[in-house]
Amino acid sequence: MRWFLDPRLLTSLIVGAILAVLMLPPLVMLVQGSVLSAGGSPVWTLSHFRDLFTAHRGLETMANSIVFAGGSTLLSLLIGGVMAWLVERTNAPLRGLAWVATVISLGTPYVLHVVAWLFLLGPVGPFNDLYRMLGGNGNLVQVQSMGGMILIEGFLWSPLVFLLLGATFRAANADMEEAARISGATVLQTVWRISIRLAMPAILALALFVFIRAIGAFEVPALVGIPSRIYVLTTAVYDSMTRMPPNLGYASAFAVVMVGLVSVLLHFYSRLSANAEKYQSVTGKGYRPRPFDLGAWRWAAGGLILLNFLVVLVLPLLALLWLSLQPYSRGFSLAGMKSLTADNYRAVIEAPNYLELAANSLIVAAGAASVIMLLAAFAGWIAARRGPGGRTLDQLAMLSLVFPGIVLGVAVMEVYLRVPLPIYGTLWIIGIAYVIRFMPFGMRYVYAGVLQLHIELEEAAGVAGAGYLTVLRRIVAPLLTPAMVAGWLFIFLIANKELAIAVLLASPGSQVAAVAVFDLWVNGQGGELAAFGLLWTVLMTGVAFLFFFQSRRGGTDIYGN
Amino acid sequence: MTEPDLRIEIEDLVVNYGDVRAVDRVSLSVKRGELVTLLGPSGCGKTTTLRAVAGLEDPSGGMIRVNGRTVYSAAERRNMPAEKRGVSMVFQSYAIWPHMTVFDNVAYGLKVRKVGRAEIVENVHRVLDLVQMRQYADRPASKLSGGQQQRVAVARAIAFSPEVLLFDEPLSNLDAKLRVTMRVELRELQKRLGITALYVTHDQEEALAISDRVIVMNGGRIEQIDTPEEIYRHPGSLFVAEFVGNANVIEGQAETTPGRDGSLGFRTASGQMLRVAPGRNASGTAVALQAAYIDLFPPGRSDAPNAIAGTIHRRMFHGDFIQYLVDWPCGQLLVRRPPNDLFAEGSAVVVSFAPEYCVLL
Repeated sequence: MRWFLDPRLLTSLIVGAILAVLMLPPLVMLVQGSVLSAGGSPVWTLSHFRDLFTAHRGLETMANSIVFAGGSTLLSLLIGGVMAWLVERTNAPLRGLAWVATVISLGTPYVLHVVAWLFLLGPVGPFNDLYRMLGGNGNLVQVQSMGGMILIEGFLWSPLVFLLLGATFRAANADMEEAARISGATVLQTVWRISIRLAMPAILALALFVFIRAIGAFEVPALVGIPSRIYVLTTAVYDSMTRMPPNLGYASAFAVVMVGLVSVLLHFYSRLSANAEKYQSVTGKGYRPRPFDLGAWRWAAGGLILLNFLVVLVLPLLALLWLSLQPYSRGFSLAGMKSLTADNYRAVIEAPNYLELAANSLIVAAGAASVIMLLAAFAGWIAARRGPGGRTLDQLAMLSLVFPGIVLGVAVMEVYLRVPLPIYGTLWIIGIAYVIRFMPFGMRYVYAGVLQLHIELEEAAGVAGAGYLTVLRRIVAPLLTPAMVAGWLFIFLIANKELAIAVLLASPGSQVAAVAVFDLWVNGQGGELAAFGLLWTVLMTGVAFLFFFQSRRGGTDIYGN
Repeated sequence: MTEPDLRIEIEDLVVNYGDVRAVDRVSLSVKRGELVTLLGPSGCGKTTTLRAVAGLEDPSGGMIRVNGRTVYSAAERRNMPAEKRGVSMVFQSYAIWPHMTVFDNVAYGLKVRKVGRAEIVENVHRVLDLVQMRQYADRPASKLSGGQQQRVAVARAIAFSPEVLLFDEPLSNLDAKLRVTMRVELRELQKRLGITALYVTHDQEEALAISDRVIVMNGGRIEQIDTPEEIYRHPGSLFVAEFVGNANVIEGQAETTPGRDGSLGFRTASGQMLRVAPGRNASGTAVALQAAYIDLFPPGRSDAPNAIAGTIHRRMFHGDFIQYLVDWPCGQLLVRRPPNDLFAEGSAVVVSFAPEYCVLL
C-alpha cells in the first residue's frame, strides 16, 4: 500500500488541513493588521503599538483590565468557593438551590444578567430606592463605576466557580479530613489546615482561569463601563472598530496585546492545572465523602445559600420580569403594579423579527456545535491515542483559546473581508467564528471521553480483525456518544450565551439573540428586551437542564467556558 | 460500673444507610492490650462498625463506650465528635497529608493538643524510630512509597498515645510480600506498646495471624467471636466454615446420642458413617472439615479414624503445601498435605481425619 493510502495518516491529514484553514488565518491576519498602516498601499509600521502608549488613555485601559479582571476573579472565587464547599462538603440545608441557580444561569445570556443588575443597582433600582426611603440622599450605589463592574462580573462568574470547585471538593479524599478529625482537629481546624490546603492548587488554577476569561469579558465592560467612560481592553477594541471610520490597526494592536497576555497566562494556567492533580493520592474504597456536620451553624449556612440564590438568580429574574411588564423603565413600587401590561410580550410574539432572531440563533449554534463535535471526534481521538500528528492536531484545535471573543470577532472579520467568499454579513461568518471559538471545548470533551475508554477495547477490536476506520465507527463512536452529546449541548449553550464574538459580525439581516438584546439595550427598549430575554432564558434553561442530566448520566466533566 | 479492663464496649449497635441496615445489633468488647479483628466479606458491616467507634458514622441505635466513657448512646442521644473520643485510626488509603512533611504529619495530633515544641519533637522522633522512618522526617509526604506511607500512618496514629487504635484494612494496598512483613511488624509493635486495637480486614489469613480474638461478621451481624485457633478448627456456622480456611462441607444427618469418646455418628448423604465432633447450635445436617486436617495414606490402611478409600483426581503443587482434589464417596474432597507427601494423580488412597476436626454445623 502506498503511504498516502494509509487510513491513519490520511485521516490525520484531512482533519489537520481543515483545522489549519480554520484556525491559522485569524491569528495571521490579526498580527498582520497590527503592523500594517491603513490606506491604499499598506506599509509595515509599528505606529499602532506606539499609539497604544501615546494615545488617549492607552495605559489606563490596560490597568483597568487588570483591576477589573482581578477584582471580579476574587469576588467570584469567594462566592462560588464558599457555595461549593457548603453544598458539596457540609450538611447545610437548601443545598439544591445552588444547583438550580447554576443551571439557570448557564442558560441565561450574560447580557441579560447585566441589564438586570444595571436596573437593580441603578438610580431607580430597589437598593437606591430603599436608601432614599430610609432618609438617604441621592444614590447609595453608584453602579456605573469600576466597583459596579467588578460586582456584576463577580456575580456572573460565581456559578461557574461553584461548578468547577464543587467537582474538586467532590473528588477530595475524605480520608484526609477524617484523619485530621481522628488526630484531634475540630471541623474548623480541619478545613483550614487540610481541606483548603489540599484544594489550593486547584483553586489557584481556577483563579487564573477566571482571570483569563475576565480579561476577555465584554458584556459588563460594554454595558456598564462604556457609558461611564471606563474602558478595558475589550471595549477599547470594540470602540475603535465601531467608530467612524473604524481604526482596524489600532484595534488589532490592542487585540495582539490581549492575545499575548492571554497566551502567557494560559501557559502558567496549564502548568498550574497539571499541578492541581498532584495531591490526588491513593484512595481507599471510595467512601462517599461524608459531609461535615456543622451543628447549629448549618442554619446559618443554609441562610447563606438562600441569600446567594436570591441575589444571583431570583433578584435578576424578578427585575427582568418587572421590566418586561412595565411600559417604561421604573423602580419597584406599588404604583407600578397598576401599570402592569403584557404589551411587551405581545410585541415580541407578534413581531416577526424576534422569531427570526431566535431561529437564527438556534440554527447557527446548532450548526456550529455539530461541526465542532464532528471535527473534534476525529482530532480528539487521534490526539488522545497519540495517532499520527496527534500533538499538532491538539495544538491547532486548542489555538483559539488565546482569542478573547471580541478579538476573534475582529480577526474573523479581517479574514473574510479579504477572502473572496460572499459570507460577510451573513450567518455563515458568525457560524465560522463560533466553530473557531468553541473548538477547544469540543476537543476537551472528546479527549477526556477517549481517555475514559480503556484502550484495550480498541485493541480487542483490532485483534479481532477490525480496520482503523471500523474501530472508530463501531467501537469508539458508540462509546463516546455520551461525551459527544454533553459537549454538543455545552457548546450550543455557550454559543447562545456569548455576545462578544457576534457583536462585530452580526448585521441587520443576520442577528443572533445576544446581539439583539445588546442592541435593544443601546436603543433603550428595556421592556421588549426583558420580555424577549425572559422567554429566551426559559428556552435555554430547558437545554441547560438537558445538559446537566446528560453530563451526570454520562459521567462527563463540565468544563468552564 | 464498667470494668476498667475493657477499652471498647459496643452494645446492640445499629447503623443504617438509608433503607439498608449495614450493622445489625452488634455487641462486642475489647480488653486492654488486646488486638481484636473484625473479619468478613465486603459489605458485612465490619468497616462501618469500626467507623462508628471512631465517630465517623451516625449510628441509629445502641451504645459505644471507649475506656469507660460513653462516646455514643442512642438512649442518651449522645454522639461525641471524633476528635474528642481519644481514639486513633490507620486508614486503608493511609490518608497521609501530601502537603506536609513526614514530621508534620506525625506531629499534627500533638500540635492540635497544644503540646510543647520540645515534647512534640521528642515524641515524633520516638514513634518514627519505632517504625524505622526517622531518616525520612523532613521528606515531603508526597514523595513516599506505599510501604513508607503505611509506616508514617502508623506512626501518626500512635504519636499522641491514644487509648484505642483502630485499623481499617491497613495492609490491603500493599503488595503481597510487603503485606506479610508489615503484618509481623504491626503485631510486634502492638504487643510491645500494649496497644488496644480493633482491626478490620477481609483477609482471613491476616486475621488469624495477627489477632488475639477474631470476630467473623456477615450481613451486618456477628457470626462468631473466638480465638483464631477456635475459629479455624471449630467454625460455629456454615458461613464461618466457608469463609475461614479451606473447609470441606459434607452434608448428611447426625445421630443424636454421643459415643463414649464424646464424638457423634454422622451419616453422609451418600451413606458413609463418620465420627464427628458436636458443634455449638448445630442443626446436624452438615459437617465442616478443614483441608489441612485430612491425612492421606496408601491403600490398605484401616486402623486410622474415619478411614475411607478414595482416588487422587488432581494434584497441585503450591510450594508450602500440596493441594489434592480427592474423589471419594461423598463427591470431591479438598486435601492439603506437606510438600513431601506425594501421591500421583489417579492413584488409590485412604482418606482419614480425627473426629475432633470434623465439626457438626
